[in-house]
Amino acid sequence: MLLEIKDIKMSFTSAHNETFNLLKGVDLGVEAGRITALVGGNGAGKTTLFNIITGFEKGYSGDVIFEGNNLNKISPHKISLMGIGRLFQGGQLLEGLTLMENMKVASDDETGERPFESLLKARKVKQKEVAKEAQARAVLERIFGTDSKYLQMLDTEASAFSYGEQRLLSLARLLMGGDRLLLLDEPTSGVNPVYIATIERIIREMVEKEGITVLLIEHNMQFVRKIADTCAYLDDGVISKVGPTAEVLDDKSVRNSYLGL
Amino acid sequence: MEYVFHIAIMLNIYIMLVLSANLTTGMANLLTMCQAAFYGIGAYIGTFFLMQFHCPLVVIIAVVSLVTGLFSFVVSYASVKLKGDYFVLASMGFQLIVYTILYNWIPVTRGPYGIPGIPGIRLFGIWELSGVYAYFALSLVLAVVAILLFNNLHDSPYGRTLRAIKADELMVQSMGRNTLAAKAWAFFISAAVAGVAGVVYAAYVSYIDPTSFTLNESIFIISALFIGGIGNVKGPVFGALFVVLLPELLRFVGLPDAVAANLRQVIYGLSLILVVYFRPQGLFGKMVLK
Repeated sequence: MLLEIKDIKMSFTSAHNETFNLLKGVDLGVEAGRITALVGGNGAGKTTLFNIITGFEKGYSGDVIFEGNNLNKISPHKISLMGIGRLFQGGQLLEGLTLMENMKVASDDETGERPFESLLKARKVKQKEVAKEAQARAVLERIFGTDSKYLQMLDTEASAFSYGEQRLLSLARLLMGGDRLLLLDEPTSGVNPVYIATIERIIREMVEKEGITVLLIEHNMQFVRKIADTCAYLDDGVISKVGPTAEVLDDKSVRNSYLGL
Repeated sequence: MEYVFHIAIMLNIYIMLVLSANLTTGMANLLTMCQAAFYGIGAYIGTFFLMQFHCPLVVIIAVVSLVTGLFSFVVSYASVKLKGDYFVLASMGFQLIVYTILYNWIPVTRGPYGIPGIPGIRLFGIWELSGVYAYFALSLVLAVVAILLFNNLHDSPYGRTLRAIKADELMVQSMGRNTLAAKAWAFFISAAVAGVAGVVYAAYVSYIDPTSFTLNESIFIISALFIGGIGNVKGPVFGALFVVLLPELLRFVGLPDAVAANLRQVIYGLSLILVVYFRPQGLFGKMVLK
């Protein structure tokens, strides 16, 4: 398993001192080179689980093991450097930065990002910047084709792109990080059907051509059915069903409790 | 003529102060209300070294930058624990603490009596700078260096990271960037430059007391930043020009001093409201504070 989640428990205490157990012992294994979907109702704790994996949430018990390394108590940026990338729910391009800057800031090469480095090691930093630009162009060409309009819009500010385009470009940006595991939180949320098809293609290419493993949260069951090899159903704080996607989504109890069918 | 050079020196000092505020507030989205505290720390530390050791220019700038920069870690630590309005309040708290110490630690700072007779900065350890022309030259060189430095930072990969943090810090962390370190460096550089402005001020006027480093002064610096514009270098420079030259222009209108002083405050306040309302990124700014 590339990622193992073992007995994750997490609870919240309300302002009235009432304890609410959100995660009651989540166990999940994510196989390398596959697409795993995590489904469940609103407020089931899916995004919280992503926050735990990526180090943004620390108040939990249990273990998160990635490539044999325990991620507990490791800060988010170090977890990212270990090879885990993330697309946030509703996450877009970084506002105020151009498309090229968005791509470069996601690069796994941090050369020049310390203050004064660009003054003291100007030549090296410039070379690295040129290399990052080439990498960004290569990623966009690979994902959108050599005649893509985005290659002509590298200096365009993020806010000039539509929501759907920003979602596509945010996905493409993930390829700058050289990650081995990508956590995608509702990648198709708020995106039109044409872009959903493109998102599906991008994710498939990430897995099939780049060898990346994907764990995604998604409410679009049609999309999950098409793309995911494995599906895990999070209900009442535990993974109540896991297996091949069709099997899980067609399960009577899942259909009953989640899909209301 | 000396009057014009005096105004130019103050303008150069404010260019450094407003540019330093822009790095944290404008680029990293950390609204700080304590720039005058760093300005004051720089002035007092610089005064101590000038009076005790008659340090040459390079040494005094290095020492003041380093020590003032180290004080910035108090504020950068607060930025880790506190977000948004709470951080603004914490930075105000730091400003008030520094002012209170400067005002009440009389054996060291002479409190409200101030420190008179501050010797000039020694160039190459030999020639002691004195008079408006020498300080104009020094402050001009330092202001130009500050402009070039912040321009380089803005366009550098480090500046890009700060602007990214401003947009979405969590997302930047998830891209493998140590945002806490990036912000701590921003505070350090910002405080160090404000500290250098402080020592130039102290050496130029040869007298300092805590009333030059109050919360009002911090608000004044931030106001200049908002009026000029945040997120680039042009905006802060224009903001400094505006706040330094406006009162001087009012002198020529022929108003009595008491009226002119009040009118100046009204114009500052009104300018700030109009800018925030009609042009939130400032007159020459690039970004809007989130």
